Amino acid sequence: MNSRALTAADALSRRRTTNTQPSLARNVVTWLRRRKYALISATAVLLFVLLWQLCGSLHWVDALLLPPPSEILGTAAELISNGYRQTPLWQHFFISVARASAAFVVAVGAGVPLGLGMGLSPTLAAALNPFVQFLRPLPKIALIPLVIVWFGIGESAKFFLIFISTFLSVVVGAAAAVLGVSQARLRAAQTLGATHHQIFAFVVLPNALPELFTSVRLSIGIGWTSLIAAEMVAANSGLGWMVINAGSYLRTDVVLLGIVLLGLTGYFFDWALVQLQRRFVPWAGKDA
Amino acid sequence: MSQPTARIALNRVGLRFAAAHGSGKSHTVLQDVSLALAEGEFVCLLGSSGCGKSSILNLLAGFIAPDHGTLEMDGQIIHGPGPQRGMVFQQPTLFPWLSVRDNVTFGPRMAGLAADRYLPEADRFLRLVGLQDYAEHYPWQLSGGMRQRVALARAWLADPQVLLMDEPFGALDAQTRLSMQELLTHIWQTTRTTILFVTHDVDEALYLADRILIMSAAPGRIREELRLPFERPRSLEDLVADPGYGKLKRRILHVVREEARKSFSGVAA
Repeated sequence: MNSRALTAADALSRRRTTNTQPSLARNVVTWLRRRKYALISATAVLLFVLLWQLCGSLHWVDALLLPPPSEILGTAAELISNGYRQTPLWQHFFISVARASAAFVVAVGAGVPLGLGMGLSPTLAAALNPFVQFLRPLPKIALIPLVIVWFGIGESAKFFLIFISTFLSVVVGAAAAVLGVSQARLRAAQTLGATHHQIFAFVVLPNALPELFTSVRLSIGIGWTSLIAAEMVAANSGLGWMVINAGSYLRTDVVLLGIVLLGLTGYFFDWALVQLQRRFVPWAGKDA
Repeated sequence: MSQPTARIALNRVGLRFAAAHGSGKSHTVLQDVSLALAEGEFVCLLGSSGCGKSSILNLLAGFIAPDHGTLEMDGQIIHGPGPQRGMVFQQPTLFPWLSVRDNVTFGPRMAGLAADRYLPEADRFLRLVGLQDYAEHYPWQLSGGMRQRVALARAWLADPQVLLMDEPFGALDAQTRLSMQELLTHIWQTTRTTILFVTHDVDEALYLADRILIMSAAPGRIREELRLPFERPRSLEDLVADPGYGKLKRRILHVVREEARKSFSGVAA
């Protein structure tokens, strides 16, 4: 309940003790304790990479099946200077990020209002839910033949595939977020004289914000995974295309490099959204 | 009981709740309940859990509609919730995205008042509840007692004619509850807002009220009405020493325990 105040007081008293007894060892210990879990994660990753490297260096596993990290780094350096199939690595990376970002922005921009509308209006929800619930779990790869027929093989096809998977998930999440408002909070606002519109703008919307952020995070994760499907559509650049193309030439080092970059980028998107969430909805998960 | 001058009144109100999962039988929550509060009166509604005392508040707030009878405020029929009837809930139900000051000024801001009209009043109320140094804090940074004080200030700043309080101190520890009761009477003595206060705590009712209504359960009815003879301002110490206090408490406890026995045997049968 008072945890924040308590931790602040703790920190203060801790600082006081370190000030009266300045000791490097003590500071190091506090630093380590504060970053305990980050350090555990970092150690786990390091150990994994080390083991992976040993698999290649000691010839436990054929380097063609599992190229070691050193080889992937070498491949990265080569692709950065020479490019993969005439396209520099950074360009593959930015094309994928640009395609996904454009689709994300439109999907969130259109999906949030529509989801909010469905959350507020049972009529709208009843009309649209059959389509949304039918399309959302559908594997988007199944749409590829139709998408090519409709949009051709240009950028719009790729945009549409990423967009549709993100959008549907945002819509469902936003509709659920609106319904999450407690009756007590609505009643409190009513007795304070808020009108219907004011309750929507000043209670329902801010109340839905934490859950909205969470559903956007999940949706962008889903959208990023459909990038490969999108870049299967007759692309000649992009990380997803690079992975598929390298696979057909058995360039497993390029495949793994692409996988690492795809994973790290997805990780970064999520991290950025968590930071935004902390900044804009610091009350998430706290009751009042 | 109801007079034309009543600030807020229930006239022969009946309320039924439909039984869960359509078993067909609905059950009667309130039967033929009438009560009236005069302007500036502090009335406690005392009863065991499940006797329908919170339903009376929900009716007066306009959250639910009665099946029989009428609800009136200043002679006007009550149709839905409105700022004339403020409410303090058992939980603070603050808005965690707003600072303490923004929570407290929620009512006047929704009414579209200019900041210079409500800010001095907000600061006055924050001082009254002892939270003048916490105006920029957020609710989730405060303790339970402090949050409930914010909720009190917020309800009052919307300038209600009647305050409905639904066991507002029930979730607090004993010490905090006592200081909240003192705080509430202190504010009430300066504002003289009409208050209907629901509780199951006999001591709380005896300390706070001008008048106590004891409810009987299943179906909910007003069983007894007691006007308290104690002078104001009251101190808890003096009150407990008053010979009349013990007698009244004994009488109330007798009724309350009888009701509790009745509802237990009702459950058994």
